[in-house]
Amino acid sequence: MTRRRTWASRLADAAIITVSIIWMLPLFFAILMSFRPQRDPITNGNIFFGSTLTLANYMSAWEVAPWPAHYANSIIFVVGVLVVQVFTITMAGYAFARLRFPGRNLLLGIVLLQMMIPTGVLLVQNFATIRTLGLYDTQIAMMVPYWGSAFGTLLMRQAFREVPYELEEAARIDGANWAQIMRHVYIPLTIPSYVAFALVSISSHWNEFLWPFIVTRSAHVQPLTVGLNKLYQTSDVGALYGQLMAGTLMVIAPLVILFILFQRRFIESFASSGIK
Amino acid sequence: MFSRDVCRRLYGVLAVLAVLVPLGVTSAQDTITLDFYYPTAVDGPIAQILEEYAQQFEAENPGIDVNPIYTGSYVDTRQAIQTEIQGGGTGPDVAVMLATDIFSLAEEGYVVPVQQFIDQMEDPEAFVSDFYESLMVNSVDEEGTIWSIPFQRSTPILYYNKDMFREAGLDPEQPPRNRDELVEYAQKLTLPNGERWGLMVAIAGDFPIWLFQSFVMANGQNLVEESPAKVYLNTPEAVDALKFLIDLGSTYRVQPEGGTSWGDTPTAFTSGQAAMIYHTVGSLTSILQNADFEVGVGYLPSGPAGEDGTGYGTPTGGGNLYIFANSTPEEQEAAWKWVQFLASPEIQADWGAKTGYIAARRSAWETDILQELVAQYPQYAVARDQLEIAGKEFTSYRAIDVQNIINNTVSSILAGERTDIETALAEAQAQIDSLLAEYQ
Amino acid sequence: MAGTAQTRAATDAGMAIARPRKSLLQILFPYLLIAPTLILVVMFTIWPAGQSVISSLYRPPRMATGEPTFVGLQNYIDLFDPTHYIGSNFTQVIINTLIFTFATVLVAVPLALIFALLLNRRIRGLALWRFGLFYPALLPLIGAASIWAFIYSDTVGLLNTILRSFGLSGQNWIGNANLVLGSVIVVNIWKQVGYYMIFYLAGLQGIPRDFYEAAEIEGASTLQQVYYLTLPLLRRTTLFIMIIAFTFGFQTVEQLQVLGGGGPGVRSNMILYYIFQNIQERRNAGYVNAMTVILVLILLVFTVSNFLIFEREEKS
Repeated sequence: MTRRRTWASRLADAAIITVSIIWMLPLFFAILMSFRPQRDPITNGNIFFGSTLTLANYMSAWEVAPWPAHYANSIIFVVGVLVVQVFTITMAGYAFARLRFPGRNLLLGIVLLQMMIPTGVLLVQNFATIRTLGLYDTQIAMMVPYWGSAFGTLLMRQAFREVPYELEEAARIDGANWAQIMRHVYIPLTIPSYVAFALVSISSHWNEFLWPFIVTRSAHVQPLTVGLNKLYQTSDVGALYGQLMAGTLMVIAPLVILFILFQRRFIESFASSGIK
Repeated sequence: MFSRDVCRRLYGVLAVLAVLVPLGVTSAQDTITLDFYYPTAVDGPIAQILEEYAQQFEAENPGIDVNPIYTGSYVDTRQAIQTEIQGGGTGPDVAVMLATDIFSLAEEGYVVPVQQFIDQMEDPEAFVSDFYESLMVNSVDEEGTIWSIPFQRSTPILYYNKDMFREAGLDPEQPPRNRDELVEYAQKLTLPNGERWGLMVAIAGDFPIWLFQSFVMANGQNLVEESPAKVYLNTPEAVDALKFLIDLGSTYRVQPEGGTSWGDTPTAFTSGQAAMIYHTVGSLTSILQNADFEVGVGYLPSGPAGEDGTGYGTPTGGGNLYIFANSTPEEQEAAWKWVQFLASPEIQADWGAKTGYIAARRSAWETDILQELVAQYPQYAVARDQLEIAGKEFTSYRAIDVQNIINNTVSSILAGERTDIETALAEAQAQIDSLLAEYQ
Repeated sequence: MAGTAQTRAATDAGMAIARPRKSLLQILFPYLLIAPTLILVVMFTIWPAGQSVISSLYRPPRMATGEPTFVGLQNYIDLFDPTHYIGSNFTQVIINTLIFTFATVLVAVPLALIFALLLNRRIRGLALWRFGLFYPALLPLIGAASIWAFIYSDTVGLLNTILRSFGLSGQNWIGNANLVLGSVIVVNIWKQVGYYMIFYLAGLQGIPRDFYEAAEIEGASTLQQVYYLTLPLLRRTTLFIMIIAFTFGFQTVEQLQVLGGGGPGVRSNMILYYIFQNIQERRNAGYVNAMTVILVLILLVFTVSNFLIFEREEKS
């Protein structure tokens, strides 16, 4: 923008910067707590650096769980979910966006119910299904229920509808089959929606605890949240914020790095996304 | 179509699994593998410690493999086991669950009483009596059958700041013995404008029942007696306990109104915001590490029910070892060996020293490891000796629901949300009674 | 995206489309496309949810081995019975959930829009300010709640420490029945705003620049541009966000584990958390399922009405 800086514009800058700083305060204090000695209350000494700074919280948090395995498992889990989701939401999204068939609205409604029913209340039946499939205590078990995504289907349905239908017709006249139409017409034009979906899918599954915890027992298949959970369970001692913050920061670090690296791309790719 | 292909891949995965899964099972023909589920409620490398115990046990017991499996909090553990068994799975062979889970686990048919294994021991009497009675009282049902063995146990104690006692002209070796002294000392120790509180009872929050119970017991009527089918909530003793807890904040002004939160009270104590606190012995290790003053530990002050010990009110808490019903008799035999190993004086002593839990049997305290600990930190001995006068922790049939009712009622009274104490307790008692009606 | 196998498989379908006569494959084509999603949703949501509806009409037996009793709608009736151990709290729990959800949505969504409008400009350090508002969405809910547990702590908390340093008295943010729900709502707003903001930013960047230039030439002020140009163009984004925000609002409860456990009493308890508390006891299965059905019905009303508006916008 080449607009001159008016006082209103400066005020707006100041406002959003102030808000953003306020928003960052919890993160700032979380980092601070993670480097302060355990049980060193914020009132002790200098409010910022306390008596001393230490890595002890990170070291004790690291001892609690087999973190390298948990990191690997979380990556496998979120990637394994996302890759399959990309296929299922593309197919279902296209069908609901562009094809006419009896029962379309009913079937869409059924799919959308998934967003409304909290998975946490269906644990027993879903556990039984996983056992019947012979998947108990495997990484596949953690992924399966998420392979179909109502959120993604809705998002892609929306995005595909934005694509001018003439492009599909033109491609068909050129003799393109469905897969080619998807590959050369729909998918390139809706990449932003895929990116948006990936962001949502990765961050929510990265932080998922209950379901992976219920269907796995071995540490060598369990994700990060199970390791993090160990740091929360200190009810016989009291709250140990330092260690807890250290663990939380360790767990979200990859997500934060991912976001910072791709943040420009995320936002820009949203620009032409279907959800505008 | 993609769908077909995805299906084909899925079948591929399934086929591979179908081959792999039975392999794992059949190869374990002559070794017995025990799944041992454990929650954690303290910090530290618990998984490593238990893994070491398992290795030590396996070396001593060839043919038995122990597989320690972390299952979250106590609540998570219960949910994991419940989901697994209701969903058609087998569940663990041994698990650490709350001592107070006894009646719900028994009613579900999830566990078998360990009594049957104790009976086969050479000297059952000697084994059982080595455990503190106040802990065993939560292991038995109405008929006296033992269902579980104490493992990681705790009890609330009074912590006090000896430096502040000196400063206020109090004897640092003499913690308050009864409620009058508690109030008197706390008043002397309190500084104006919330600069320092004489006392913090860590009773605010969603689980007030534990410390609430200690005040009720000290009034002479526990929330539960021998029968798990009868709960005593709407009693003058409970009303008085609640009034006293409220008075501590609003009349005597020696603690923040409504008490303080469970998680932060130890830190408030070590940072000098409170001169005395009620908390669990589980936090002793971390309090000793973090306090830059002399830490005193005392029994919970006795209530009006008497000075000679009857007015003491100390529940116990923590987890016991349960053996599961879905296991084969051979697995159960092996499980019993593992339970005995974990409950052995040596392991109890080592576990206590490493975690801060209070070793559950007397002989454990004669081991070098705990003798040295007590020599260095006599505070641990106070918690141990208090076990002699401790009472039964609250449990009953439908314990989860009844506890929810009591917690909700007590927390809304303490928060000042309900001021009609008698009515609130009467309503809660009516709900509890209707829940327990079928057990009468 | 397609491997050779997929391409080959899909070729048949493509050719089927090209053929004038409707083949069986062509008729089945849409169903085959949605089949994977549908099968998974039916398997892991619809079927178990159906089981829940059925068991909401039953009462579990006293011993785990017994048979459940059919009780009709009695479980639902009990949920609203003020003398019943579950019913005495359930109405309050529903009210809390509605307050929590509405407060979050009504504050967070407009805030997200304002933040997006303010960030959709040239600012020095834009990436940092954007990250600052978005990062809470990346945190696990329980991790975010723990940071706030430390901020809110009555004794050693950050907020009270700051208040006291100004000579003010601290508050029991979580322990005070009148403050707790507000405290929890603040956490949720803080956590969700960035998430919704990202969708607004996307929507804003999709508005062609020349729209604004045209408006500017006509002499419209910035506020006028926002009101007459931006807001109408963002309606569809808003409705999309509303759907997600309502569904999330009703299902966001993990933070309560760390922030007061739903207390004092049930003053900050919410439907899904209340379900999790009561699911612990097998004998409550009927109640838990009935509560689930009620939760889904409430969500259904919100989503369907949102969706209807959404679709109507599409058409006009």
